[in-house]
Amino acid sequence: MECSFALTGKDYVIVAADTTAARSIVKMKGDEDKIKTLGPHLLMAYSGEPGDTVQFAEYVERNIRLYQIRNLYPLRPASAASWIRRSLADSLRSRSPYSVNLLLGGYDTAAQTPSLYWIDYLGTIATVPFACHGYGSYFALSLLDRYHNPEGSLEEGLETLKRCIDEVAKRLVVSPGKYKVKVVDKDGIREIEL
Amino acid sequence: MNTFVNQFSTSSALSVIRKAQALVDDDEEFSDAAWGSEAGFGNLAKGVPSFSVPAVHDPTAFLRLHTDDHADPNCRIKIQHGTTTLAFRFQGGVIVAVDSRATAGSYIASGTVKKVIEINPYLLGTMAGGAADCQYWETYLGIQCRLHELRNRERISVAAASKYLSNLVYSYKGMGLSMGTMICGWDKTGPAVFYVDSDGTRLKGDLFSVGSGSTFAYGVLDQGYRWDLTDEEAQELGRRSIYAAGHRDAFSGNTCNLYHVKEDGWRFLGNYDITKMHYEGPGDVPGSAKTGYGYDVRVEGRVSSAAPAVAS
Amino acid sequence: MSRSYDRALTVFSPDGHLFQVEYANEAVRRGTCAVGLRGKDVVVLGVEKKSVLQLQDPRTVRKVVMLDDHICLAFAGLTADGRVLIDKARMECQSHRLTVEDPVTVEYITRHIAGIQQRYTQSGGVRPFGIATLIVGFDPHDTRPRLYMTEPSGIYSAWKANAIGRSSKTVREFLEKNHKDDLSRDETIKLTIKSLLEVVQTGAKNIEISVMESYGKVTALDLSQIEAIVQEIEREKEAEAERKRSRLAATAAGQAAMSSRAGDAGQPSGQQ
Repeated sequence: MECSFALTGKDYVIVAADTTAARSIVKMKGDEDKIKTLGPHLLMAYSGEPGDTVQFAEYVERNIRLYQIRNLYPLRPASAASWIRRSLADSLRSRSPYSVNLLLGGYDTAAQTPSLYWIDYLGTIATVPFACHGYGSYFALSLLDRYHNPEGSLEEGLETLKRCIDEVAKRLVVSPGKYKVKVVDKDGIREIEL
Repeated sequence: MNTFVNQFSTSSALSVIRKAQALVDDDEEFSDAAWGSEAGFGNLAKGVPSFSVPAVHDPTAFLRLHTDDHADPNCRIKIQHGTTTLAFRFQGGVIVAVDSRATAGSYIASGTVKKVIEINPYLLGTMAGGAADCQYWETYLGIQCRLHELRNRERISVAAASKYLSNLVYSYKGMGLSMGTMICGWDKTGPAVFYVDSDGTRLKGDLFSVGSGSTFAYGVLDQGYRWDLTDEEAQELGRRSIYAAGHRDAFSGNTCNLYHVKEDGWRFLGNYDITKMHYEGPGDVPGSAKTGYGYDVRVEGRVSSAAPAVAS
Repeated sequence: MSRSYDRALTVFSPDGHLFQVEYANEAVRRGTCAVGLRGKDVVVLGVEKKSVLQLQDPRTVRKVVMLDDHICLAFAGLTADGRVLIDKARMECQSHRLTVEDPVTVEYITRHIAGIQQRYTQSGGVRPFGIATLIVGFDPHDTRPRLYMTEPSGIYSAWKANAIGRSSKTVREFLEKNHKDDLSRDETIKLTIKSLLEVVQTGAKNIEISVMESYGKVTALDLSQIEAIVQEIEREKEAEAERKRSRLAATAAGQAAMSSRAGDAGQPSGQQ
């Protein structure tokens, strides 16, 4: 079962997604990266219908890259989120809609603020301090309501993320084993081993 | 009135301007269509080729009605489903092994199916799901790979070939295509295996198995797999895994076809009878233990009981 | 019926020329000069910058642009046409990645650009692009630098070193004389600047240099760096001229001595 989490803290956003690619009961791959790096300060975790997810994520990735090459500077997170939501909303009203859920974490270098957007396949967008997609959200949302600290240090943020992952591992029937965790802050993007 | 005429005339000056407009607009619009790169795949076709669908009102519904769905096994067209195919990457290249049974419902339609499609001397594709879909589109992929070679004076990478196939089947998503395939080969980056299916999923990996018998194949394959297997060990592992699936899965069996891809292209290693492998092993081939793979053969004479044999 | 003919702008003249294409070439020849140079494992683009007006923002004028992480392009001719073509090329670079995952090869994108240019010489109601381009870069999984040129007609070709635009013939001849295989990074940059100085009288402030050292590694030289190299070249030229002058002086002196000795020999050697 796909799970993705994201949360903000003092000047950073953590984005985490499971790494399994499953087909019926078989786990085809255990180290699939489902978090795309869209720019120097922008991350996107995607989940949903197999096929659609990667196709849409790559479509977004290439368009945002094209924007950067054309204009010499990258799209800011708020604008990127807006564009991505619009793409999903347009696709929803087309003959073959993409069924993709997204978590978009970015750091706006101009305003010096981290931002997190929750986007679903219907084109809903919400600016949130923390977010989840998949069955994990049934456990993690209440947990984050209780433990999330918007001013927490990176260590504290990772600690909270670990709580989510542990809780899902404990209670969800088929929980994913491994997660990929990425952080975006003023210095850019880096991957973190939990 | 005038505008209407102009719209359909091909000789008026206006139509020329319109054509020119179309040319200029060609790749300027930020639409989905603009995102089909030619990518060396043609001058006119925009990325994905078009393919005519049956002239019925709703092709998808038609197909669902007449093919063997789980709900109705008695319909007219039976699509081959049961299969075991596997491919894995290791130090010495890529091993591709498949069974050869074709089933249509509970009936074995053939025991000598070629489930490895030789796309070109460096690329292999495997076949699971609809046999016709795999055969047709992988042959089509072969044509495109050759054209890529002619246009760019270098072989297509495995990543590019698999991506091309994946984009292709994705464009038919929801229209009834059924494929689960592995595109295997050797390119500038070394040995490569990609899993591509008709959902549009495309995964790069070291080891994949597809088909109804895949779980059984995985059981043997995962346990015996290491990156630094020797060529002989790897070939034996491929055979043994297909044997395992052929033995346990009712929809897989008959024989096993084995291929090995190396830097200089693929080589067909042989066709092995699964029943024979059960009792006698694969015969005198490199890596073989020269004994049967079957459980009874393997453990002959061994018992779990600790009790002393009853004196008669 | 004036519209029954001449629908297309590019039609053959009776002697087989496409005048519009030739005019486009003329537009290229009037554009600022651009030089491309391939070294051993580096490729350099140098362009002549037009002097910006006093109140103009120089950052808005660019003649060397990135097409993708590993490919750069410089052009000569009509800047506005260049912008359109570059945008099409950038789009294709991303599009290519989207369809086959791999980045484009330098030759592929060159062929694509040349293909667009050719299309605009054979369709009704359009005019050719008034630009020639130099395209440099590295292919994925490869260490060899590449340099290509395209022309308004849609021709493309690979080069060790080449120039386009104003006085490109002079520069090309200079390069033909001075280019050696396997130039190092610094030698390549120096030769690029040297060749540009053949046509750019105003020196460093009107020169722009971009260096690509390996896949995806591009740097633009600062004015100060270019100035330093220009000064070095000037010093060398001076030294060369000095040497020439002194050699000339020496020969002149030698000749004078010879002739004077000859004169001496003609004189009776009276006193000893």
